[in-house]
Amino acid sequence: MKKVKAEQKKLISFTVNGDDVKVEISADTRLIDVLRNKLNLTGTKEGCGIGECGACTVLMDGKPVNSCLVPAFQVEGSVIETVEGLDKSGELHPLQEAFVEHTAIQCGYCTPGMLMSALALLRENPKPTREEIARAISGNLCRCTGYHQIIAAIEDASAKIRLSE
Amino acid sequence: MTKTKWVGTDVTRIDAKDKVCGTLEYMSDLSFPNMIYGAVLRSKYPHALIKKIDTKRAKELDGVVTVLTHEDVPGLNGFGIAIPDQPVLCRDKVRYMGDAIALVGAESKEIAEQALELIEVEYEPLPIVDDPEEAMLDTSPLVHETGNIHNHVKIERGDVEAAFNEAYVVVENTYFTPRQMHAFLEPESGVATIDDDKNITIWCGGQHPYRDQLQVARALGMNPRKIRIINTPAGGAFGGKDEITVQIYLALLVLHTDRPAKIVLSREESVIAGMKRHPMKIYMKTAAAADGTILANEVRVVSDTGAYASLGGPVIGFAIEHSCGAYRVENVRLEGFCVYTNNGVAGAFRGFGANQVTFAVETQVDMIAEKLGMDRLEIRKKNGLRKGDIAALGHKMEASVGLLRTLEAAENSRLWQLREELKAKPGAPHKKRGIGIACSFQGCGLGKGLPDYGAATIELLPNGQFAVGVSCPEIGQGNTTAFVQIAADYIRCSIDDIVMLSGDTGHTLDSGTSTASRSVYTGGNALKLAAGNLHSAISTLAAEILSVPESDIDIEYGSAVSKSCPEKTVSFKKIAELMVERGKTIKGEGYFIWPVSETELEGYVGIPHLLYSYITQIALVEVNTLTGETEVLEAVSVPDPGKAINPQGVEGQSEGGVVMGMGYALTEDTIIEEGITLTRNFSTYILPTSLDMPCEIETIIAEELEPSGPFGAKGIGEAVCVPISPAITNAIHDACGVWMKQIPATPERVYTALKSKEVP
Ligand code: FES
Ligand code: FES
Repeated sequence: MKKVKAEQKKLISFTVNGDDVKVEISADTRLIDVLRNKLNLTGTKEGCGIGECGACTVLMDGKPVNSCLVPAFQVEGSVIETVEGLDKSGELHPLQEAFVEHTAIQCGYCTPGMLMSALALLRENPKPTREEIARAISGNLCRCTGYHQIIAAIEDASAKIRLSE
Repeated sequence: MTKTKWVGTDVTRIDAKDKVCGTLEYMSDLSFPNMIYGAVLRSKYPHALIKKIDTKRAKELDGVVTVLTHEDVPGLNGFGIAIPDQPVLCRDKVRYMGDAIALVGAESKEIAEQALELIEVEYEPLPIVDDPEEAMLDTSPLVHETGNIHNHVKIERGDVEAAFNEAYVVVENTYFTPRQMHAFLEPESGVATIDDDKNITIWCGGQHPYRDQLQVARALGMNPRKIRIINTPAGGAFGGKDEITVQIYLALLVLHTDRPAKIVLSREESVIAGMKRHPMKIYMKTAAAADGTILANEVRVVSDTGAYASLGGPVIGFAIEHSCGAYRVENVRLEGFCVYTNNGVAGAFRGFGANQVTFAVETQVDMIAEKLGMDRLEIRKKNGLRKGDIAALGHKMEASVGLLRTLEAAENSRLWQLREELKAKPGAPHKKRGIGIACSFQGCGLGKGLPDYGAATIELLPNGQFAVGVSCPEIGQGNTTAFVQIAADYIRCSIDDIVMLSGDTGHTLDSGTSTASRSVYTGGNALKLAAGNLHSAISTLAAEILSVPESDIDIEYGSAVSKSCPEKTVSFKKIAELMVERGKTIKGEGYFIWPVSETELEGYVGIPHLLYSYITQIALVEVNTLTGETEVLEAVSVPDPGKAINPQGVEGQSEGGVVMGMGYALTEDTIIEEGITLTRNFSTYILPTSLDMPCEIETIIAEELEPSGPFGAKGIGEAVCVPISPAITNAIHDACGVWMKQIPATPERVYTALKSKEVP
């Protein structure tokens, strides 16, 4: 039998949605593979694999990244947030609520990535203009909605978050 | 119309919560213990003979479980909705770069991909057929033995020559439209399992579970009953998952290995192997009288279906049916060819052939208006179809016709009213603004001569809720939410008391496809019939409980009531309890068959239609005359969906459609040169982003209720992306005086057109 080329395995540790995790990876493992295949966090989606669609967006140390482009070994020691962490308190995050209310969802495949880009924006800029919202999600493609209901939802969520603070 | 509690309101999507939490499982999110991963070996050439396939080295690779070729396809080695001309695994010939030759199943995705490289295929390259017009010549190499013309449509009415001679104005042009990609964000993917009795279950996003079942069964030579297909949910489809994608490969893998299997296409593989919109070359000569009456239209369309038929035949028929626009035209000579080439594959795509011809005819109409000095809206109102009119194919518009309503609402929109003001203030001196308008109609359902039916089930559950089943899959359009609303109003219960079953041959009867703007109309009508039968069963039990005759029972929201003695009521919950006690089931099934046009066009199926949705759309653009770049600033979309079951949902469809049609008009094209796809991912295939879409999209729903529809509904999923494209190109003309006869109207094309205008 022919052998597959021997793989170098490595153990990395980081936190995901507040939990400490340790995962075995090889040299070519990507962050998205770790999340989806090792940690079963399948909310993060793959749409293109080359950093063009944003479906795989997660937050790494608070910054939105395309998890299809991040080599897993770079994640050592970092803080990762995914869509699954948004309603960890048991209640929907205001962004999630607004997406539901505005029907900012059709097929839903872009939704997790959209939410993470929006979350990063609102943390940095609690009162964004529509243009700023459009710019913040410009790396997230959506083929279904035409973006309007998504932008309206993010605008609405930002107002609600400000009110509750 | 019946009073409704849910229909016509903005009910929250039933899948919204799972989608925002990331907990909704798409097919590629599913995994099973002991699962293998599949990978497909695609062709190295666009056109070649296969001399030899050697899988020995691949089979020897550690971790490879199986390597399958054509020899391992137990049944018919072919698939295709209309005719099964596409091989599951090619034996002696490949006709495009997406053709599959071998299938690997391995312990991991990486190993499967590595094994593909070890499969040795000997090819003998053949001359490439990449120009559809040349493909039609006798001298062309053949893509298929049967000839390169897959379908030919020819329809003549009236006296075209006489009309052209009498006409006050004639415009004659040739248009070209691109190979748009569906670009659903979820690439084709799925999983499958097999049990000890060889029953196979396949989870794969799709648009018609029962047809998938048939196609898989045919390829496996198996009883369809042993195959269960689950199509819901899909991460977008738009027609691109109507045909078989990976279902048969999954079935072959589980059949040959007795292990669960998973296949997820990469974006590049999806682009190369998957369906596209048919590129068309459209010749059009249109005549009008001095008062703007359209007298005649001559059309010749050549459509590139690529290597296999799929729905290319019906698409050319549909294009011809819609090629005179939503207008009365008495003299027509219409001809269409659907041609095989080695350019990928084309099939169903939202709009189904209407997009291409609407771009052409709506440009022609604007040209005529310009020549006559006539208002662009007036000419459309003048010629626009009304109920009872005879349409281009000679068929009578018997169902509801909302075209005029959409044109009038568009006329009253802010954008149209303020158009001169808005145009007067471009962002910079070298930028010019223009407004464009276009309208269209869209046949709903599969059309005359194709069996079009749907079934639905409603079952009272032991807890007093209702299980509602319609098999038309949820592909993102929101039909499951619409079905819940419709069912709740027909059953007369709360939407919270409905458990929706969708897209699963194991749990729903065949309701047909989620395509052709048909699912709400079909499923809704089947639900109406099912609810009637359910009510009879409920009444029987209620009559017994209330000790009144069955004829005395009325159904109200949540309960059965005695008509003669209204204080006697029994809730659905109580009825369910008694049902359980008695060991009974209370269930209603509904079977709905589509009404069809009286007109029969001999030799053709799928045309004409009886029911159409109508739409008018407006675009405000700004053209940069130095670069040729076009920006769409604002848009208005006025659809007539019949009754809007969920207005917020219709708005979402409308906005998404506008942006998809904008991509078609301005940027999107899958470039294939000599059979090789060059635009393989979103870096070179340019989809509109949140920065490109118009800042304002106003949707005005112009409901023209359709008496045969559920609560008056028709369908709207497709029309929303159609006339916006010519509205944009007409706006470019309004801005800077150039007619775009080829889309996408890229900066280069607009710039070149501007330059050639300057040099007369
Ligand atoms: S999958 Fe990562 S950007 Fe598309
Ligand atoms: S909702 Fe389908 S891609 Fe955004």
